[in-house]
Amino acid sequence: MSQGKIVGGFVAPHPPHLVYGENPPQNEARSEGGWEPLRWAYERARKSLEEMKPDVLLVHSPHWQTLVGHHFLGVPHLEGKSVDPIFSNLFRYKFSLDVDVELAEACCQEAAAMGLTTKMMRNPKFRVDYGTITTLHMIRPQWDIPIVGISANNSPYYLSVDEGVEQMDTLGVATRKAIEKSGKRAVLLASNTFSHWHFHEEPDVPEDMSREHPQSYEGYKWDMKMIELMRQGNLKEVMRLFPEWVEEAFAEVKSGAFPWMLSAMGYPEIPAELHGYGTVIGTGNAVMEWNLEKAEARDAAVA
Amino acid sequence: MTVVSAFLVPGSPLPYLRQDNPPWQPLAAGYEKVRDALQASKPDALLIYSTQWFAVLDQLWQARPHLTGEHVDENWYEYGDLTIDLRSDTDLVDACIAGCADIGIRAKGVNYDHFPVDTGTIVANNFVNPGGKIPLVIAANNLYHGPGETEKLAAMAVEQADKQGKRLAVLAIGGLSAAYFDEEIDIADDRIRHDADDAANRQLLDALANGDRRSASEALGRFNEGTKADMGMKHLSWLFGATGDFKGARVHAYGPTYGAGAAVVEFNL
Repeated sequence: MSQGKIVGGFVAPHPPHLVYGENPPQNEARSEGGWEPLRWAYERARKSLEEMKPDVLLVHSPHWQTLVGHHFLGVPHLEGKSVDPIFSNLFRYKFSLDVDVELAEACCQEAAAMGLTTKMMRNPKFRVDYGTITTLHMIRPQWDIPIVGISANNSPYYLSVDEGVEQMDTLGVATRKAIEKSGKRAVLLASNTFSHWHFHEEPDVPEDMSREHPQSYEGYKWDMKMIELMRQGNLKEVMRLFPEWVEEAFAEVKSGAFPWMLSAMGYPEIPAELHGYGTVIGTGNAVMEWNLEKAEARDAAVA
Repeated sequence: MTVVSAFLVPGSPLPYLRQDNPPWQPLAAGYEKVRDALQASKPDALLIYSTQWFAVLDQLWQARPHLTGEHVDENWYEYGDLTIDLRSDTDLVDACIAGCADIGIRAKGVNYDHFPVDTGTIVANNFVNPGGKIPLVIAANNLYHGPGETEKLAAMAVEQADKQGKRLAVLAIGGLSAAYFDEEIDIADDRIRHDADDAANRQLLDALANGDRRSASEALGRFNEGTKADMGMKHLSWLFGATGDFKGARVHAYGPTYGAGAAVVEFNL
């Protein structure tokens, strides 16, 4: 068996509005569209993902929040109807997904060996959170690639941002080790928005884009600054500024998906590709890609 | 009198799913006392606020006439499944949604099958209202509402019930101190995680047991200042807003739920 590897990673935010705007058959709610630039960004990301030919997608979602440790979906097949508790008018989605339980168990064991509290979720009636489902639908609507679903441990909120990041860093290293031993080609998905300041009232027509813009100019400026650093490949500076970004932009990256993904990829100093940026109820959302395999090929060609 | 009974109860599923675990037995037994007191008060509807149903846009109200199904808690899934059997008082829910406009709060109902009702609401309903015989009015915890707005919303709901000539029981669902054990423990050894939290919980419960709304509100302010509390104890704000005032309370049970504080309290109206 050849060594497995992480071929790429995406920041893949999960506002259910994007599914609602697309009107896929799985979603009961119907729209007139909306949030097109972000949905088109996901179209570009879908093409990249197709070229990566992954065996498995790993997604870390803030909307499966766990108090005691880091949990992994551990049931081979899960299906049902996911209704978003906050945006139930927009997201009522029939999902059916296959879990790569073998890899999930390996990630769980590696993380435990590195000192984290971990657990496998074995209840077949478990309701998969809407963050996981939205991210997976937006990046791969065919649902034909097995997944590993990882919870967001509450440590960044319960302890401190620094302690939370430390745990996500460890979780990322454990994830990488498990993938390398698996022999599989894996793509990582960090399911989170950036600036999370948002409006508190919904327009009568949710997809009325005349009402959509950044809720906070400060949050927008933070997002642009961080995206630019990512585009330059300067992840050292991104992580140095991370606590300030979280604090001043109320950034959802605090929940752990983003540092987990960067750690798993080894904080690659390569330019990230921005597929697109847009707001959803005022929050900042970027679809971004780190294509590790392409960067490796470029480096090899230069050498 | 519109409000005929009022209770503070925990939303953790642990005392419900593992009633045999010694540290959680008192909470389950306390819940049984609440069930008896609630039924004796003969309410027409049960006004529920659970810290675990979050809203961020508008004020949400559960408008589905009948919700059934099974629920698995995202944290405690290994302890078992929860049966959902909830009926809403849709006339009163509609009135509450309309009444929100009068107090300057945008609101809407949610009426969808498979709606993910929060664990706290399901646990409390199953404990005190088995079979869902008493219809419910369930309000979400809008994370951006402070205690003042929460009290106003509850008072508005009581006003609407009064207009409909209905007797109302109030359930405030949530915990006390929120610090929990973030690593695996032997559940048979569960206890309040911090001694200081234990002391603060007991002081607050003492203030509820022996005070009225004014003194309890002062105690609640001190509690929130010194303790990491469950959602700033907005569920108590809800109860205060609904009852207007009370004359002491009976603490039926107090104990830990994986390190966090929880109590079952019946208020004297």
